[in-house]
Amino acid sequence: MKFTSIRPIAFTLARELVITALLLVGVSFVVFVILYSAPGDPFALLLQGQVSAVQNSGIHDSLGVPTTWYGQYLSWLGNISTGNFGTSIRTGLPVLAEIVRVAINTLYLTIGAMLITLAVAIPIALMSARQGTTAVTWPLTIFAYVISALPVFWLGYIAIYISTHKFGYFPITVGYSSSKSLGFIPFLLPIAVLGLGNGTISEVVRYLREEMERVFAEDYIRTAVAKGGSIWKHSFKEGFLIPITQIIASKIPFILGGAVVVEQVFNWPGMGRMAWQAAQDRDYPIIMGVVILAAVIVRMGSLLQRVVYVMVNPRASQE
Amino acid sequence: MRKYRQESIKVVDFSDLPFWKKTDRKDLIYVGYGLIILTLVVVSYILGALQFLPHDPQEINMDLLMAPPGTAGHILGTDFMGRDILSRLILGIQAYFLPGLLAITIALVFGTFVGILSGYWGGHIDTVVNYFSNLVDSFPRLVIILLVVAAFKPSMFFIMIVVGITNIPVVGLLIKDKVLFLKQKNYIEAATALGLSNRVIILKHILWYNCRSVLIIQATLGLAEAILIESSLSYLGFGVQEPVPSWGNMVQAGSNYLMQGNFWPSTAPALAILFTIMGLHLLGDGLNNILEWKRGS
Repeated sequence: MKFTSIRPIAFTLARELVITALLLVGVSFVVFVILYSAPGDPFALLLQGQVSAVQNSGIHDSLGVPTTWYGQYLSWLGNISTGNFGTSIRTGLPVLAEIVRVAINTLYLTIGAMLITLAVAIPIALMSARQGTTAVTWPLTIFAYVISALPVFWLGYIAIYISTHKFGYFPITVGYSSSKSLGFIPFLLPIAVLGLGNGTISEVVRYLREEMERVFAEDYIRTAVAKGGSIWKHSFKEGFLIPITQIIASKIPFILGGAVVVEQVFNWPGMGRMAWQAAQDRDYPIIMGVVILAAVIVRMGSLLQRVVYVMVNPRASQE
Repeated sequence: MRKYRQESIKVVDFSDLPFWKKTDRKDLIYVGYGLIILTLVVVSYILGALQFLPHDPQEINMDLLMAPPGTAGHILGTDFMGRDILSRLILGIQAYFLPGLLAITIALVFGTFVGILSGYWGGHIDTVVNYFSNLVDSFPRLVIILLVVAAFKPSMFFIMIVVGITNIPVVGLLIKDKVLFLKQKNYIEAATALGLSNRVIILKHILWYNCRSVLIIQATLGLAEAILIESSLSYLGFGVQEPVPSWGNMVQAGSNYLMQGNFWPSTAPALAILFTIMGLHLLGDGLNNILEWKRGS
């Protein structure tokens, strides 16, 4: 790959950073609206009926809480932009530290799962793009459909059953003491289950195959092949690199969503499990923090995708 | 829901042939299988709604716990409380069918509206629509649903409204691409030149003649997604609660017995989910191949 100049990339990066910031403000506003319209007033709970009219009692003023919705939103936004996400209702610990502590586990899980998904989907897509529908590629495509339609929680239980009964280890306590004696093996099972069962493999195969077939049919590929060049080498940038980064960026939300279920199945101490626990306890600050952090991860993914896109195709920075 | 690119259209002129000869046989197999599954789901939904079931789904039979499939009287066996699995599977469709239709309706109606707005007029509307679609795409769906669950303790209908809203941008982008593609076409220009009103061009020439298939495909994929969301949420314990059956909570409840080697109570609903979602995906992809690719221009 030849990178002509750094300017388009810097330009795109700056513009995408502004867009990302605007989107994250939007994300925080959506989260605020959902929680603001939720039934129940924390002040009513705090006062437990001691004061009949909460709004007029001056409790907001004495605690320094704005009474208007935009005042509350702005002060909350100010707090979260300095990293103050409040404290968990259930444990009383600061939310950000709690989430960051478990977020690393979720990152292992999702990145590993993404790699597994790609490792399964890419060969199928490349084979069927090159060879068309044959006796080998058609069953593989159907296999991709079957795997994508499997409910991931059931797949997780089957994986636990097989590993327990056939291989004799019990992967239910991943992340805690048992992982020390077993090394990295217990981590692989949830990663494999999420990678296979997140329901995106058939879509990845389909998308990549369509893109590759389209690029294979281009004139410049035909010319290159006629001159004896390699079809893979010439179609790599447009037919492989760009679609793959697009797939990765657009599938991050799905894999994070699947992580909620898989972490539940395997007791994996990650963000998804924390969000599940918080939804059980209606622990708003925690789940709010998880939603915002997940949105940040998704946005970072698409930021990266844009940068790669412009690196491959500098003209795109003018769009 | 999945996204398709609209410009990858293979121009193949088979216009004289009947449609089943024009199309790839594998696409016909996909669509055929998908239609069988869809028919089964709809028929089972109606049977369940009319309470026309082989057994009472709540009837506990302590003498026949976890019977294997093929047991006399219980074709698909019984679960850990001796309840008939077939009846519970049929009744489980109630959990997602109507809420799923609600999600599909919301996504299609508002998505079409948004797509037409940004595709036909463009400009600032397009910028705003792009912003909102990126905004909605920023949330992992299950995570934002967990937030809504924590805030409202909602019913499945309410959750499916959220699912529908999150799918508006997907449909919107598809319709927008389609409109941008069609706007360059001669017949739309001709329609404009003939002085037809925007309303007629949009409703008749763009939506009815050219976007039908996109909307039908998105509807099938939307139903698949409704099943996925419903079963995941019920599995997590936020959706349909026992003893009301849903495919998700059947897998969850049955999984407690899976470690002892009793696969069937959780595998039966898992297979139902597998075959149904696979059928709907194949139906959507097959229809997309048949209706969208080979139409030419």
